[in-house]
Amino acid sequence: MLNTATLSLDQAPPISIPFRYFLTAPLFGLAAALMLLINGPDLFLTRWSPLTLGLTHMITLGMLAMVMCGALLQMLPVIAGSPVPGVVAVGTFCHILITLGTGMLIFAFLSGSVVGEVVALGMMGGGVIVFFVAVTIALWRVKHVSATIVAIRLAVAALLITLLFGLLLGSGILGSLGFGDIASLVDVHLAWGLLGWIGLLLIGISYQVVPMFQVTPEYPPRLRRLLAPALFVGLLIWTLLMLGAISGVVNGWVAEVGMFILICGFVLYAVTTIRLQAQRKRRVPDITLLFWRTGMLFIPFCALIWIAGSVSPAIGNDPHYSLLLGVGLLLGVGVAVINGMLYKIVPFLSWFHLQNRQMSLMCMTVKVPNMKEFIPDKAARLQLYLFQASLLLTLAATLFPAWFAHLAGLFFLASNALLMKNLLLAMHRYRQTLHALSAYAESAQSSSDGVG
Amino acid sequence: MEVRIDVSKLEPCEPLERTLEAIQQLHPGDYLRVLHRREPHLLYPLLEKSGFTWQCRGDESGGYEVFIWKTDDLAAALAVESVSE
Repeated sequence: MLNTATLSLDQAPPISIPFRYFLTAPLFGLAAALMLLINGPDLFLTRWSPLTLGLTHMITLGMLAMVMCGALLQMLPVIAGSPVPGVVAVGTFCHILITLGTGMLIFAFLSGSVVGEVVALGMMGGGVIVFFVAVTIALWRVKHVSATIVAIRLAVAALLITLLFGLLLGSGILGSLGFGDIASLVDVHLAWGLLGWIGLLLIGISYQVVPMFQVTPEYPPRLRRLLAPALFVGLLIWTLLMLGAISGVVNGWVAEVGMFILICGFVLYAVTTIRLQAQRKRRVPDITLLFWRTGMLFIPFCALIWIAGSVSPAIGNDPHYSLLLGVGLLLGVGVAVINGMLYKIVPFLSWFHLQNRQMSLMCMTVKVPNMKEFIPDKAARLQLYLFQASLLLTLAATLFPAWFAHLAGLFFLASNALLMKNLLLAMHRYRQTLHALSAYAESAQSSSDGVG
Repeated sequence: MEVRIDVSKLEPCEPLERTLEAIQQLHPGDYLRVLHRREPHLLYPLLEKSGFTWQCRGDESGGYEVFIWKTDDLAAALAVESVSE
């Protein structure tokens, strides 16, 4: 049960706070696409090349973390009845630091600048820690702790662990370790970022948004209660096993078995979501659902790739393997889901803020657009097709870079440009209606002054 | 008189839109009975702003029934009380 009986917009941040995060994401998407378009096959040599690391962080921080942080600041009052303290200051500060920090980190990867890296780590560290503290206070104050709140708490803890491993790797204090050990630590950083922060947050948010926006039955209660805590504990155990393997105490295959169990948990979540979507009560095609279905299908797809790489050393040691897995997880799951979510959250917030304003003014002469009018289905559908084409082309580019890399960049560029246009259109409609409501309020005020 | 709408198969924000439209059509003595699959928490502050009162209860199928009436409409309030007993 949600604890939102006392929800009001007084608790929620101004719409400009989440929107600045949502509009920054496609900008990083455009930058990533340009990089792909210009550098093409060079990005698909190995996951360790500075170019590839830069591109990876453009997507993980610039797109995925950006949308997720903005959505959390907005959603905590709605789904938990607990606003983030000082949300305007925190939201503004974290947005600036995470945006500049991501940009600087990419610059540092590309240029090899040590000063750039120190500045980037300082900014990212500062932004994420302020975000973590503010969100933790809000999560701490939640009175009725639902499965969603538990998953969000664990996801935010995972974000901090991801940051700590990132800072450790970026600080250079691990210089005495061999490449194999550093690679294992990078895998730990990656696992906490992708499976912990993104994965657990996705699971927790799904419990709310899939039944609500996609009109499906609820997730099974036992899965809701147990899955996220089990995955978090599993990640902790796997991390200890990895650290054990690095120090030679544990055999590497034990950690592999741990990761296999974790992956089964995510596949269970994906299969359950697909099953719920198949049972939806309303059979009207929905763009967000199609984005989400893409994401959910890519979870078992990535699991199969991982299993193939673990079972067969020939596959696991091939540089294409890591790239294929990375593209599958980052674009196939991460970007697909957040892109789809933007098509619900942006129109919904716009509609709700305007509806609230309209009710406050009791103004029935200005019509508030409905959700579909903020972003027309046709435009969103075209963007879905462009995104899916770019996803398939990027996957193909991991295997045949010379043939597909530039084309993948072109489609990803078109996809993000259209996403940006669609979001700006929604914002334009929001502002237009808000101005009409403000004009009504002013005229009502001046006529009442005249009477007075 | 009872005015009944079923919004249980609609996507957000249609349930809220339909409900807000329906309350504008209520005559004195009328109340609105909304059948919903989730408790519509977001609706409540909007109802409060428009001068309406509500009562929500779970139904046998796991859904919710929300009774809504004009706050100053005593006849509607009594009618809701008689059906919700």
